[in-house]
Amino acid sequence: MPYMLLAPAVLVTVFIVFFPMVQALATSFYDLILWKPNASRFVGFGNYVKLFADPVFWTALGNTAIWIGLTVPLQMALGLLTALLLNREFPWRGLARGLIIIPWALPSVVIALMWRWIYDPNTGVLNDILIYLSVVHSAVPWLADPDLALYAIIATLTWQGFPFFAVMILAGLQGIPKSHYEAASIDGASTWRQFVHITLPGIAPVLATAGLLRVIWVANSMDVIFVMTGGGPGYATHTLPLYAFVRARQNLDFGYGTTIAVTFTILLGAVVALYLARTMREVER
Amino acid sequence: MKMLKKLAVGAALATALLASTASAETVRFWYHFDNPENPMDDLVAKFEADNPGIEIEAENVPWNSYYDNLYTALVGGNAPDAAMVKLFAQPRLIEMGALEPIGEQVETWSGKADLLDNLLEINKGPDGQQYYLPIQYVVLYLYYRADLFEQAGLKPPATCDEFRDAAIKLTKAPETYGFGLRGGKGGWDQWGAFVLSQGAKLEPGGLTTPEAIAANQWLIDLFQKDKVIPPSAPNDGFQEITAAFKNGTTAMTIHHIGSSNDMVKALGDKVSAVPVPECGGGRWTSYGDESLAIFSSSQVKDAAWKWISFLAEGENNVAFNKATGQMTVTKSGSENWTLHERRFVDATVQSLPFAEVLPQNTATSEFVNTAWQTAMQQALTGQITSEQMMQQLEALFAQQ
Repeated sequence: MPYMLLAPAVLVTVFIVFFPMVQALATSFYDLILWKPNASRFVGFGNYVKLFADPVFWTALGNTAIWIGLTVPLQMALGLLTALLLNREFPWRGLARGLIIIPWALPSVVIALMWRWIYDPNTGVLNDILIYLSVVHSAVPWLADPDLALYAIIATLTWQGFPFFAVMILAGLQGIPKSHYEAASIDGASTWRQFVHITLPGIAPVLATAGLLRVIWVANSMDVIFVMTGGGPGYATHTLPLYAFVRARQNLDFGYGTTIAVTFTILLGAVVALYLARTMREVER
Repeated sequence: MKMLKKLAVGAALATALLASTASAETVRFWYHFDNPENPMDDLVAKFEADNPGIEIEAENVPWNSYYDNLYTALVGGNAPDAAMVKLFAQPRLIEMGALEPIGEQVETWSGKADLLDNLLEINKGPDGQQYYLPIQYVVLYLYYRADLFEQAGLKPPATCDEFRDAAIKLTKAPETYGFGLRGGKGGWDQWGAFVLSQGAKLEPGGLTTPEAIAANQWLIDLFQKDKVIPPSAPNDGFQEITAAFKNGTTAMTIHHIGSSNDMVKALGDKVSAVPVPECGGGRWTSYGDESLAIFSSSQVKDAAWKWISFLAEGENNVAFNKATGQMTVTKSGSENWTLHERRFVDATVQSLPFAEVLPQNTATSEFVNTAWQTAMQQALTGQITSEQMMQQLEALFAQQ
C-alpha cells in the first residue's frame, strides 16, 4: 500500500526528471545541429572527444572552478558574519533581519542590470566613488577587462547569495542552548574559544547543508553572468553551464551543447557524491 | 472521483475554447520594436476592420534573443505564421525548410510597383526564389558631433586617416573619446566599415590576407594604442554606444537613422552625419534590411500573406516605420518623408551606392550571432592577435 501511494510521485519524477536526463545523454551522442535537421547522425563519443580537445571547454572549466571556489566561501563568510551580528541584541533587530533578505529576494536579472550600472565605466557609481577617493585615476572597465570581469560578477553573486547563509546560520545559532555559553564563561573561556568550541560545532550541520546546496545552485546559475557580460569579453566569463547554453541555444548546436551539460553534471555529481559520503560518515559517528 | 470529474470538465472546456478560436483564422506574427510607443495595435485594428474573419496575434519579441527564439520555435513546431526577418538568417531558414515561397503572390500584388527599385532583387533567396517581402531598410553611417569638430577646426572625416586623426584630436580621456566602438553584440557592422572596406571578405581565404589582417589591426590599435575608444568598448552594445554619444562621452559613432531622432532629442543641432569614411581606397557599409516572411508550417498562409502585404503598402508601411524609426520601402511613402531630419536621410541616401549585405551562407548567422563578438572581444583585450582573430573567423566560413 505505501508503495502504491508513492507511485504517482515516482512516476512524475521519472517522467519530468529522469526521462529528460536519459534523453540528454542520448542527444550528446549525436551530431545534432537544429538548423541542419537532415545532417543529424550518431557519432558515439565523438562529441566528447571534440570536447576534451576544445580549448574553450578548459577555459570554461577553469572559470567554473574559480566561480564556485570563490563565490560559495565568500557568501558563507559574509553570511556567518551577518548572522553573528544579527544574533546580538540591538534595537530594530527585527527590521534589520527583514532588510537583510532583500538581495536574496530580488530577481537575478534585476540584480544583474543593477550591477551593470554600478560597474559602468562612464556613468557607474563605483568608479565615481573610487576616483573621488583617489583609489584609481581613471575609470576601470570592470566588465570589459578580461582579468577583472569574472571577479566583478563573483562580487555581485556574493552580494546576492549571502542572505541565504545569514538566515540559515542565524536559525542554527538560535538552536544553541544559552547554558553552553554560560558554562564556558564560568570556566573562563574567551569569546574566541567559545566561538570555536561552541558556536562552530553548533552550526556545522547547517553550514554543511547550506554549503552543499549553494555549491549546486551557484555552479548552475548563469543568469547573472549572461545578463552582465554574455560570457565575454572573449571567453573570460564563460562557465560550463553558460557555454552549454550558448552552444545549444544561440548556435543551435544541441549535440555539442548537451555534451557540455552532461560532462558538467558528471563532474558536479562527483563532487556532490564525495561531499555526501563525508557528511554521512560524520552523521554516523 | 470528484477530481477526475473536474479534470474532465476542464479538458472539455479547453477543447471547446480551442475549437472556437480555430473557426476564425488567426495569424500569429512576430516582430521586434524597441520603441515603447508601439503602433502595432492600431495597424492590427485597421487590418482586422478591412479583413473580417482574420485575427492577428502580434507578439513583440525582444531583439536580443529574437533569432534564438525564432529558430527554437521553428524546430519545436510552435512557429508563428509570419515574422520579421533579416537577410543573414535566410540561408539557415531555407536549409531548415522553414520558408514559404511568396513569388507568385508578389507578382499579382498591387503594391509591387510601389516598392523601391531593386529591393525585391536584393532580398531574393540564394536559390533564386522569393521568400522575403521587404518592410524597411537602413544604412549605417557615421554620426559626429558637429560642434566639437568645429571647435577643433576639423572637417567630418572622409578617409580612415582623417578619421583616426580626428579621433585622436577629440580624445580627452577619461572625459571624452573620439569614437564609440561597439565591441559587444551586433558590432560587426561597424567593424565592416573599417575591415570589409579594405578587401576582406567573409569566405575561405578572404579574411587572412595581409591587407585584411592589417585593417583589423588598425582598428584594434585605435583601442589599444591610440586609446581613442572608451575602455568599456569590448562589452558595449547598442545602448552603451548611443548613451555615450548622447551624453558627450564620444564624439563619433556608427549607427543608422533609427537612432537619429533620439540623438537629436539629446543633442539638437550638435549632431550630424556623413557616410562612413573610405578606408584604403575602398568603402563598405552595412545595408540593414528587414523583411517579412511566411513560414511553411503555417496553416493560414493566405491570411498571413494578406497581413504582411498590408504592412508593406504605402501609408501602413510609413506607420510601421514610425515605430522602428527606419526608412520606408515604398515610393509613395518616401516622397513626403518627414519622420527624420533631412541631414540623416541625406547621409543614408549618399551611403546607398556602397552599402552591401553580408554573403548569404549558413556560417554568416553564426558570425553575426556569436563568433564575431567573441573574437573581437578577445582581440581588443589582447588575448589574441589580429591574425588569430581573422583565422578564427575564417575557420567558420571554411567549414562550409
